[in-house]
Amino acid sequence: MYGQYAIKRIIYAIINYAIIIFILSALFNASMEATLVSQIEEMIQGEFMARDLTGYTVTEINELKAQRRDELYRRYHLYDPMIVRVFWRTFDTLTFNLGKSTNVTSSAGERDVSIIVGEAIPKTALLFTVSAFFNILIGIFLGIKKAQKPGGLLDQSTSILTMVVYGMPSWWLGMMLIMFFVYKLNLFPSGGILSTPPPTGIMYYLDILYHMALPVITMILLRAWGGAYLIRNIVLGTLQEDYIMSARARGIPENRVLYGHTLRSAAPPIVTMSVMSLLTSFGGAIIFEGIFSWPGMGNLYWIALQQNDIPVLLGNLSVTILLYMGGLVLLDLIYGFLDPRIKVGGKR
Amino acid sequence: MKKNGSSFDKKTDKKASSRKDSRLKEFKRSAKEFWQEFKQVRYGIVGLILLIFFVLMVLLEPFIIPFPEAGDRWSDISYWIDNPRSASPAWTNWFSSKKSTVHEFLSEPEFQVTETPQFQVQEGTFIYDYKYDIPPGELTLKARGKGNIVVEAELIRPDGEVINLVRKNYNSRNETEIRIALGKEAETRIINFGRTYESAENSRSVQRHLLKPMEILFSKAEEGILVNAEPLKGEYQIKLRVVTMGQDSYFKDSEIVVSGKVFGLLGTDDAKRDIWSGIVVGTKWAIFIGLLTALVSVAVGIIYGVTMAYFGGWLDNLMMRIYEIFVSIPMLPVLVVFSAVFSPSLWILILFMCVFYWTGPVLTVRSMALQIKEETYIEAAHALNASTGRIIFKHMIPQLIPYAFANMALSVPGAIVAEASISLLGLGDASVVTWGQILHAAMKSSAVLKGLWWWVVPPGLTIALLGMTFAFLGFSMDKILNPKLKTR
Repeated sequence: MYGQYAIKRIIYAIINYAIIIFILSALFNASMEATLVSQIEEMIQGEFMARDLTGYTVTEINELKAQRRDELYRRYHLYDPMIVRVFWRTFDTLTFNLGKSTNVTSSAGERDVSIIVGEAIPKTALLFTVSAFFNILIGIFLGIKKAQKPGGLLDQSTSILTMVVYGMPSWWLGMMLIMFFVYKLNLFPSGGILSTPPPTGIMYYLDILYHMALPVITMILLRAWGGAYLIRNIVLGTLQEDYIMSARARGIPENRVLYGHTLRSAAPPIVTMSVMSLLTSFGGAIIFEGIFSWPGMGNLYWIALQQNDIPVLLGNLSVTILLYMGGLVLLDLIYGFLDPRIKVGGKR
Repeated sequence: MKKNGSSFDKKTDKKASSRKDSRLKEFKRSAKEFWQEFKQVRYGIVGLILLIFFVLMVLLEPFIIPFPEAGDRWSDISYWIDNPRSASPAWTNWFSSKKSTVHEFLSEPEFQVTETPQFQVQEGTFIYDYKYDIPPGELTLKARGKGNIVVEAELIRPDGEVINLVRKNYNSRNETEIRIALGKEAETRIINFGRTYESAENSRSVQRHLLKPMEILFSKAEEGILVNAEPLKGEYQIKLRVVTMGQDSYFKDSEIVVSGKVFGLLGTDDAKRDIWSGIVVGTKWAIFIGLLTALVSVAVGIIYGVTMAYFGGWLDNLMMRIYEIFVSIPMLPVLVVFSAVFSPSLWILILFMCVFYWTGPVLTVRSMALQIKEETYIEAAHALNASTGRIIFKHMIPQLIPYAFANMALSVPGAIVAEASISLLGLGDASVVTWGQILHAAMKSSAVLKGLWWWVVPPGLTIALLGMTFAFLGFSMDKILNPKLKTR
């Protein structure tokens, strides 16, 4: 049953992704093609510069160029009708054939968009999983503490904190922390992922951690309260169930009631919430990473924007959406796994 | 027949009006009840007070900003030309032992006029009482003039020293604005003045391009004036002598701008703009963007959810699939790329945000509507042959209004932050001044690195505060409507 559910969920997600990419391809087709045409011109220019052209007249050269242009246009489907071109673009994007960048290069100097984006993914993943890990840890601990004494000082103060930071842009808090901790106190590096030159051995990893500290602290300061608030509500709801009362009546230690019974049955919504918060922070990572110049996918948007590199922008976007949707699918799969009551499609 | 009809009409009229009355009463009663409960939630009241504060800020905008055209001429350099550059807020003086010069205008003195047939001589003295530790950035003489004009100025310091500042000719057929940066014009003379008092050793040790004329001008004439100057406080006189030649020539509306190191409530940015004015002007846009986006998207979301629940079946399935597609798109990246490629206006941006935000309430509304659908009064409405639209809009949606308000309040901050993010990247609508735009300018000239905190803190703080306001309101409404969350 679960396998069926999982396969169905994945297939749906793939179809959704294809639809989204199709819409985006249609939306951005014109600007992508303009870039492509100028790239082709550049390529032809380069080819003819390298070629030995002695013995050709100007008209012959122009004819050759036109021939080459024609050939390339054909290869990139530029002569096809609009709808076919959009389909080709969709197909290319779905097969990670993201084209060439106009300005941005990978660390090895390559201009393949998939390589450039691929380089950025692990760094983003690292930053966001680490901060999500701490967020969840703090959230669960704080949430249970809050639920134990609803209306108490801790509960009220952290609830107020949730609301205080509710509309605070994470990047602004980042700027504030940088201004204070980096430029005033000189405690942390101002940005990036590694010092220059990067240290070797164990120091290499410590250096990454050192650079990661401030962004992670920022994210914890913003998100942990909200997570704790949601977990408090979930736990509070569970604590009212009869089996908790009976467990207490049986004399089971309070800690085991809390961390064993309550947390186990409250796990599915907590997981949902945690992954959701990870995904939303990932969606907002664009600005956040740029502020800390963390060389992930968010920072790549900044770079591509500064250099007006449309192919990188769009390639990065399609991968961002893919990862985001992947996260959602994963969420559903975990949820279905944790909560045996969920049997989607079982009705039929 | 006719008579009958009209009396019938009257009856229904009466009935309708009495029904309206009762509905009004009902509404008043429930509003009162809501208020009674709302009063109990302390942070809700705080949110309400903050909201009133922000609304007042919008309504009183023309009275509380020193630059009334700030909204329209934000990027017009000439509008801000008299302000100091990157000056910190005036109140920072309270907290520092060394007082910075406050931005000031010295108004035109009484001119003594001597007239001859060929020319006219105007003489007057500007008086400046200098009582700070950190000297001004510049003294700028500003006036309007026409024809052939010679302007001469000299400065008499409190210690009696006299420094010739400037002697300049102007010749123009039309009225022009005369601006003379006195310190810059007299730079060499001022530095030479400093050198005459400084010891030879010190004089040699400092590099000329590091010397600031204003610092010498307002310092005690003694050894150390160039390297470690003591401020000379007291009354400075700037003597102006203007000779205008010819019949049509004139020189008027003169004024000296003392460019302070501190300025106004929130200081200035590096394009001399008054940040306080920008913040106040941005308030209305933030509220507007947030509320409009929230209103439209929640309305769409609620209608969508109710429609799903009401019709059910294949339509429900289809709408669910469409909903799923929308929720699986991360909004901000798409918004960024969209803005980068199309550089949309504010309206398009709001519309585009609505395209993503309407999904917020859909699932909750759908499940709520599924419950409402089973209520007996809906069945009764069916039995009375009420139309689908009537059932949805008259019987089902009103039940969801309280939830809608809570949801709306909670989606305002997101929209404000999204717009600010887009603007921060420089992709926003440049024709309006939003807090994000101010932050973008700050980012561009690396205000964080330079420590210009008065430029970076206020816009973000107001975003956070406005977000907090709506969060307080939304959460308190949520608490009232959702009794399960009440603390027991």
